[in-house]
Amino acid sequence: MTTSTPPRLALRLLAWRLPEPDREYFVGDLLEAFHDQVAMIGASNARRWFWRETLHAMTASWPRAAMHNDEHPDQKPMTSFVQALRLAFRSLTRAPALTALVIATLSLGIGATTSVFSVARAALFASPPYPASDRLALVYEQDKDGSESNVGYETYLDLSREDRVIESAAAMGGWSPTLNDGAETSRLAGQRVTWQFFDVLGVKPMLGRGFTAEEDRQGADRVVVLGHAVWQARFGADSGIVGRSITINGIPYRVIGVLPPTFESLMAPQAGVWTTLRYNNTLSQACRTCRHLRMVARLDAGIAPAAAEQALDAAHARLKSTWPDAYVDAGTRLISIHEFTVRNTRQAMLALLTGVALVALIACFNAASLLLGRALRRESEFAVRVALGASTNRLSMLLLSEGLIIALASAVLGTLLTMVGVDVLLRLAPDGVPRLSQVRIDGGVLLFAGSLSLFTGLAASVLPALALLRGGISSGIRIGARSFAGVARHRLRGTLVAAEVALAVMLVSGSSLLFSSVTKLLSVDGGFETDHRLTMELGLSGPRYADSGVVFQDWRSTLDRVHAVPGVRAAALASQIPLGGNFDMNGLHPEVRGAGSPAEDPYAQRYAVTTRYFEVMGIPLRSGRLLTESDHDRAPLVILLNEAAASSIFPGGSAIGQRLVMGGQTRTVVGVVGNTVHQSLSDAPDFQVYVPSLQWGEEGGMNLVVQADVPPANVFQALRSAIQGAVPGIAISRVASFDRLKDDATGERRFALALFAGFSAVALVLAAAGLFGVLSATVVERTREIGVRTALGASRGTILAMVVRQGMILTTVGLVVGLFGTWGTTRVIASLLYDVGASDPTVLVVVVVSLVVVALVSSALPAWRASRVDPVIALRDG
Amino acid sequence: MAQGLGEFEQLVLLALIRLGDDAYGVAIRNEIERETGRDVTLGAVYTTLLRLEEKRFVASRLGESTPQRGGRRKKYYRPLAAGKRELAASIKALQRMTRGLTPGLELR
Repeated sequence: MTTSTPPRLALRLLAWRLPEPDREYFVGDLLEAFHDQVAMIGASNARRWFWRETLHAMTASWPRAAMHNDEHPDQKPMTSFVQALRLAFRSLTRAPALTALVIATLSLGIGATTSVFSVARAALFASPPYPASDRLALVYEQDKDGSESNVGYETYLDLSREDRVIESAAAMGGWSPTLNDGAETSRLAGQRVTWQFFDVLGVKPMLGRGFTAEEDRQGADRVVVLGHAVWQARFGADSGIVGRSITINGIPYRVIGVLPPTFESLMAPQAGVWTTLRYNNTLSQACRTCRHLRMVARLDAGIAPAAAEQALDAAHARLKSTWPDAYVDAGTRLISIHEFTVRNTRQAMLALLTGVALVALIACFNAASLLLGRALRRESEFAVRVALGASTNRLSMLLLSEGLIIALASAVLGTLLTMVGVDVLLRLAPDGVPRLSQVRIDGGVLLFAGSLSLFTGLAASVLPALALLRGGISSGIRIGARSFAGVARHRLRGTLVAAEVALAVMLVSGSSLLFSSVTKLLSVDGGFETDHRLTMELGLSGPRYADSGVVFQDWRSTLDRVHAVPGVRAAALASQIPLGGNFDMNGLHPEVRGAGSPAEDPYAQRYAVTTRYFEVMGIPLRSGRLLTESDHDRAPLVILLNEAAASSIFPGGSAIGQRLVMGGQTRTVVGVVGNTVHQSLSDAPDFQVYVPSLQWGEEGGMNLVVQADVPPANVFQALRSAIQGAVPGIAISRVASFDRLKDDATGERRFALALFAGFSAVALVLAAAGLFGVLSATVVERTREIGVRTALGASRGTILAMVVRQGMILTTVGLVVGLFGTWGTTRVIASLLYDVGASDPTVLVVVVVSLVVVALVSSALPAWRASRVDPVIALRDG
Repeated sequence: MAQGLGEFEQLVLLALIRLGDDAYGVAIRNEIERETGRDVTLGAVYTTLLRLEEKRFVASRLGESTPQRGGRRKKYYRPLAAGKRELAASIKALQRMTRGLTPGLELR
């Protein structure tokens, strides 16, 4: 018997010397031929023959890498990266559903992240559209409490003389002119600026020129520079407009320039017309405490902003020592124009970026666990490849190539999604988000999307590759033997799932915090009623109103005609309204001043209103009386305070009957009314005072407020014609219901909420899908084990409990990590939160419960299925 | 086209055609041995087959295993179109070159 076996040493040599893929069939052939030889020429001759064959084979040069084989393409060794790519492509198309799922997941993450990135980049990082904009800054005085305060004209003049710091500077005031071009009368937004304004910004008009010093003198001819949009909309882009006269506030203004379309008015976003301030320091409104101007400066080249602020502080201190009553001892504040533009949206944008980055991470983890699951299922395929000579390096190359293809596909799809996403974002974005015109998909965005896809695609495929290499491949080669050695890989998969759960917790809890915050904000009592109430801005202008009696007359007849409109219950006029965007503030103090200096007098929002204002707005009377018809211009001067002002200015006593000085006049407090919000719904109550408009002096622009019996939309038209009938040529603008105003006031938060809700939904779905995929795959892999347990007498309940317990361990780990992470994310979105504890327990409970339910279902469903399998089948097929 | 086939390559390709579906190492070796009387080593057969495969003149597939082979699978070869073309060209060249030389070479 022994003689009929081939020489062992020869076989050993063959195994050592022959290249792996060739060894199997060659040795097989030798053995087969050896049997024939034994039969033909006898055992010892056959052994000699075997040796001769062996030595010949050892010395022959075996062409390596020669197997061009069209019938078994996968046995082709990967000699080049291109081949690896081709192979990877074929291997991916063989599992189309999984590949599509992975690519869809990744491109969703990439698309969402890149969309938010493109918007955030423009809003936060686009440099202001002015030459050398890093040298442009707004100069404020600082209040005792650290808040910024506008400057008076003389302060502006003095500070701009600091020529070692400031190259040039300009002052800006608000302007809402009424433009009458014959056919139409309308209110515009604009700015009154000192003549240097456009030079400071470095902006040249497209047509004509900017202002000259002469045009900024008191009594100079009035000139105006038009913004591009106004020029197009109101003057038909007439290129002959320069030099022509247009009628603003009933007075002729000469157009001297038109700004280019690229000009963006960052410091007054709505502004479309500019005129000169025409101040000099003899005017009463040019005083040092008349802080109603904003100052923009171009700093000297080479001076650091901090050094500039220090120098201005020193200058300010000198002013303070010369005019001690006019200044408080708090210095100046320099805010770069870029900072000025982004500071209101920065927090929101960073929160969004954080949220979307979490989504991208979740998507990446999900893709990784999908690919890992696939890699585990391909264990025997890899084993065959190794048996046929593929090295582990080549296998990793295959996996990497697969990752690269996935990354490329997701990059393309993700970019397409970005185009849609940016469009949606821009349509949803509230007005407050700056620089949206700068949002575009350019090289930077593509680079971002590309590197993000490369990162996520490769990360998702490298993880499985690592798991494979670490776990070792040889275990899978025992065909038919089940591997129980996959502990490390299952641990990696478990980690991925736990991480996904953690991220989802962070995101969902973040968005639910926002949600409850916005809900609370929407139900905030602004201190006034919005239901069935509407407002519009009215403007009287023209030489006819030189006499203040005519102004009052026209306002009176306007109100009378409005009251006659069917459906109108009550109407009033007010110099400003809550959420109307006006900032009429006045300093005031008790007639008998306390200890504080005049510079520390409180400021209050000052409303000049007609008598029925409180009734129309639903502002409650707390004590004293409201205004009556008898509070006219010849009656004793009266004033109403809100509760905040009354309790603070007259602490411990009744404010009624007390006397207050405001604007140089002494007034008697006759009533105290409820607080209202003014600038935004989340305002803390500020000081507010109300004076009868007849006792304040005429104002050419007033806000009409109307309480209607019918929905506001039904009376707009009738109101408009009644008002125009009363005062022909009156300008009507900013018509809105108070419900709309309130909606707009919450726009930014609702925008953030909508996005966060979207992200959270995506995150929750992805996390749930990931949980389900991994848990159910684990159970399926354990079908045989479950069969064994069942055969050994484990009850269905025991098995169910076992599987569910393991799923729950992963989920719990994820939840705990996620809850810790939530502590971090809520910090980021804290600025968007209104009156919600940063770790609201109810929200977190809801999040935790919902994820636990997903985890329960994901593990119980496949476990239940597995426990119903006949153990015999499980043991045979599992 | 221009490279031509070596003599042993021609023999191997012809053996593949003769053997049809049963062309694996041992069978090819036996076929050549039986028809030409030459003592051919399996190593020579395989180095030739691998070279032909590299030129894409033949293709291979892994087949079944038998107990005699110690459970190792056979590797079956078949000629590809390019291989057949090359073989035909070589034989035609040989035929042309031998035309009329029958008496002197005693080919019959």
